[in-house]
Amino acid sequence: MSLRSDLYDAILNGDAKKAHAATEAALAAGDVPMDLIQESMVPAMDEVGRLFECEEYFVPELLLSGRAMKSAMGLLKPLLSAAGQKMAVRVIIGTVKGDLHDIGKNIVSSMLEGSGFEVIDLGADVSPEMFVAAVEERKPQVVCMSALLTVTMPAMKLTIDALKTAGLRTQVKVLIGGAPVTMQYAKEIGADGYSENASGAVGMVKQLLAAA
Amino acid sequence: MDRRFYLDLAARGLRMPVGTDLVMHEESEPEQVRNDGAALGRVIERAARRWGTPLAIPLMDLRLEKIDLLSLLGVSATGAEAYHFTQPLDAAALETLCGDENGPGCPGTRARDTALDLNRSKDGLVPVGMAIGPFSLTTRLMADPITAAAMAGSGMDDALEVELLWQCLRIAEAAVLRSVRSQISHGARAIMICEPTACTAFISPRQLRAGANLFERLVMEPNLRLKAALEEAGCDLIFHDCGELIDPMVEAFANRLHPVILSLGSSRRLWEDARLVPRDVVLYGNLPTKLFYSDSVMPVEEVVRRTGELIAGMRQCGHPHILGSECDVLFVPQAAEAIRKKVDVMLSCVPAHSV
Repeated sequence: MSLRSDLYDAILNGDAKKAHAATEAALAAGDVPMDLIQESMVPAMDEVGRLFECEEYFVPELLLSGRAMKSAMGLLKPLLSAAGQKMAVRVIIGTVKGDLHDIGKNIVSSMLEGSGFEVIDLGADVSPEMFVAAVEERKPQVVCMSALLTVTMPAMKLTIDALKTAGLRTQVKVLIGGAPVTMQYAKEIGADGYSENASGAVGMVKQLLAAA
Repeated sequence: MDRRFYLDLAARGLRMPVGTDLVMHEESEPEQVRNDGAALGRVIERAARRWGTPLAIPLMDLRLEKIDLLSLLGVSATGAEAYHFTQPLDAAALETLCGDENGPGCPGTRARDTALDLNRSKDGLVPVGMAIGPFSLTTRLMADPITAAAMAGSGMDDALEVELLWQCLRIAEAAVLRSVRSQISHGARAIMICEPTACTAFISPRQLRAGANLFERLVMEPNLRLKAALEEAGCDLIFHDCGELIDPMVEAFANRLHPVILSLGSSRRLWEDARLVPRDVVLYGNLPTKLFYSDSVMPVEEVVRRTGELIAGMRQCGHPHILGSECDVLFVPQAAEAIRKKVDVMLSCVPAHSV
């Protein structure tokens, strides 16, 4: 139990080296990878999200915790894969076409991974066709799109339209975000959800999946 | 110039957006104007005349310094925006990137400088330069600058990411300095330094409270050196930061950088910030123009309300203020008319109430 709490603390404090060491120690002591994820890592990232919501943590702390979580996941992923286990929910994420800003998208990606989702990050400047191809190939339950610029926001609508045209829209929940994006805009373009920050995005994904 | 010049602009009730991009998009081939110094100079002049301001403000194109910097390493202009340093640079690369010598400059840079040349002799115009700030350029040179800064704030000084961060800051400062010197040599009498990433998204207030000197090292020190270079050249500093800020950041910008104009984003209440800002620093802004594209989120009535609130608040506190946008007002194809209409409303509305 103390090894698991070490892992929890390391992620909460954003200490990648300690997270790595605690994971190694827990595995050596016979802990099961999925249990470490569900019982230490996900609760730690939930707490990180809570601290962010109450403005105890800021974006830099989110990223440090995400980095610590990734450090631990680096040890667990091969074991999960070898055991034929996979994360329950798959999310595809990308910054829309014409927009090269990926910091916000990376934060959301990190928080989603830390919350136990499998995240496929398509990167920045992702065209509607690339989103459609990824949805066809990887069959996610959720698509997240980010845009920092007012001039690139219309690509969100184009992507949703492309998903409709490809007959894929009903298979995925679409979540959008980014500095100029609003709930109203999400409604206008037919997205399922909107979040103004990374922590909220995790909650919104869970909410959308629960309602599905 | 004498600070009195800017204080007088505020005293006579000047209102103006940073809106050259909007005016440029009235041209038949706006993207060609961006790279054509003569045409760009005319657009900048037209923007200034339209809004009745002597300040001839160029495009807020914060890509130029990065493009010019990376060209020294042979990176093309088209590849520059997506290019990031991923590991610490060797001494030769650092020497190349930190030198005093400018390359030829990309077409946008050359056009910006030519436009300054053209407008320096125009009656009633003050040619203003524009550059990204050293820290904001640093954040564009790295794929994950926030984590690197957070690691630096946690004392992980031996990490490669942190080493790269300090290297990038060094080369960014040199690049901005080259840009600023070039613009001064072409006639800029004031320069707007834009530091939108010097904010709480990139620098953790939690780490600052715990005693990290990140803000000082990453933002203040390079900008203080930049300010000194501007002063030496007789060029005024207009400082712009539309990021989310905490009070000590605003105080540091206002008191220690001591710009002639301090331009802040719409997350700040300027009439409350006035207590943090010396009376000889004009506050500029800060209507939420980034949302003007949307009639549902930011209807005209809300623009009127916010403008009235801002005017009333600034009158009440009595701090010198030029009413304007929170950042540059960008042209959005599908919403151009809505944006223009709201800019007009912002510039013309009369306050109906006080705060």
